[in-house]
Amino acid sequence: MFKKLYFSLSLLLLVCLSPLAVAEEVSARQVVDEFQNQLLSVMKAGKELGFQGRYDKLDVAVKKSHDLPKIARIVVGKQWEELTTEQQNKLESVFSKLSVSAYAHNFKDYSGESFTFASEEETGRGGVVIHTNLHIPGEKDVKFDYMMKKKDDSWQIINIIADGVSDLALKRSDYTSVLSRDGFDALIVKITEKIESYAKQ
Amino acid sequence: MYNPSYQGNSQASLLWAVLFSSALSVTGCATTDQHPADATRASKGKADAADPYEGFNRSMYGFNMGLDKHLLKPIANGYKTVTPNFMQTGVSNFFTNLKGINVVLNDFLQGKFEQGASDTGRFLTNSTVGLLGLFDVASDLGLQGNVEDFGQTLAVWGVDQGPYLVLPVLGPTTVRDGAAIVVDKAANPGTYVPGTGIVEGINDRANAEGALNFIDEAALDPYVFTRESFLQYRKNLINDGKSNSTDYDLDIDADVDVGEISSAKPKESNATQKPKADAAKKQPGHVQNAIEVTPGSAKPNSATFDSMSKSFDNAALEFEKASDKMDLFSKKKRQRKHR
Repeated sequence: MFKKLYFSLSLLLLVCLSPLAVAEEVSARQVVDEFQNQLLSVMKAGKELGFQGRYDKLDVAVKKSHDLPKIARIVVGKQWEELTTEQQNKLESVFSKLSVSAYAHNFKDYSGESFTFASEEETGRGGVVIHTNLHIPGEKDVKFDYMMKKKDDSWQIINIIADGVSDLALKRSDYTSVLSRDGFDALIVKITEKIESYAKQ
Repeated sequence: MYNPSYQGNSQASLLWAVLFSSALSVTGCATTDQHPADATRASKGKADAADPYEGFNRSMYGFNMGLDKHLLKPIANGYKTVTPNFMQTGVSNFFTNLKGINVVLNDFLQGKFEQGASDTGRFLTNSTVGLLGLFDVASDLGLQGNVEDFGQTLAVWGVDQGPYLVLPVLGPTTVRDGAAIVVDKAANPGTYVPGTGIVEGINDRANAEGALNFIDEAALDPYVFTRESFLQYRKNLINDGKSNSTDYDLDIDADVDVGEISSAKPKESNATQKPKADAAKKQPGHVQNAIEVTPGSAKPNSATFDSMSKSFDNAALEFEKASDKMDLFSKKKRQRKHR
């Protein structure tokens, strides 16, 4: 009798806590895995979806797995602090849009690509790097290394290093150069232009 | 798809022969007016140790892009239109195979004997069974090609990369890699056959189409984007793709956690980290020794440097004008046709 009660109580407790428990258990590797699978499924349906269809699907997937606000912050370097709150919000929103658009543009069709997990590496200060390989039939494998950071109990992608080329470092040089040469408004104009040109093709 | 890959920076070797003399003079002044350039840059708060000659490089970049848009790209597109795919692959394989001797040479110079043996087998297989390199049989047999050149060897030996340079026609390089082209060219049989350089140049340009389009689509400042991806790509080649993510991690961590970003870029901190530990102690000065710069010629050099930079700017403008004229001309022609 008591046994049954305990059992049902613990079951109830488990059900209540399960979202929390699951959130805690999702590893960095699983985050990358899930994102890559979503990316591949979008690629497979790429032509039928069209740009907007890919964008809508990837918008959810990218925002879930990438810490876009933090990335947006890092790419403008120390000039982030010199921006007004309004400007910071503006940058965050256009940057998110650009990131998703770039994915939707660059991963538009499928020709047998696949990702495989290679290894996991802990870095200093609690970061994790997930090493994966992208196989493209008939071409040399491309190394995709995902730099992960923990944010509110979940792992998020902060940088992608493709064959040794760091996306974040590249973007930071690019963005800080435009910011210091042409200013904030020009940066936003340029990003908006890129979003439009991605959507066109 | 994701990362731009550079097909080396070998282009027309005839042009190269003419232009390399100017490249040397560029590096010459590059080494002499380093300090004033650093000072002005620092005062602007835009220090970039890897690219002290940004002004000059930007005008070269503009020139190259003009040349590309109005001459090289149309030629490469024409080549792609008239040549069947299998022939393009064959031509590409052929020139890659010619570089094979240099790859083997540099494998051994870097002490990579196993890789050297594999690349030797690759070269011999493709040169014979692969019909002078037209077919890449070796890759199908599991002998994957490696990218090695004398610039990478110098890096492994501890030579500093030196300032970033954009050379006319040849494109992005560094002082170290630019000087190393002499050896790469000498070890390439194609150099000794007149005319092949032009075909190779067209082939290289056609192969670079994807990377150049990617830059065009993704870059806010294409000059900076090209520079950063080139330097990172080279660094990855030098390290043979061995993980360097920790380097970036540390830098980014500092940004994230401290909330304050040092002006040092990732590659700056990496620039001192050479494959050999003792390299860090060496001064960048020994790069200059390698290309024998006479220290006395500082002033005239920087004057020619400036005027060169200007004349290239003018050339880029001329490209624009010429293309405007062409556009006008073709419009008129079309109008005439309509009538």
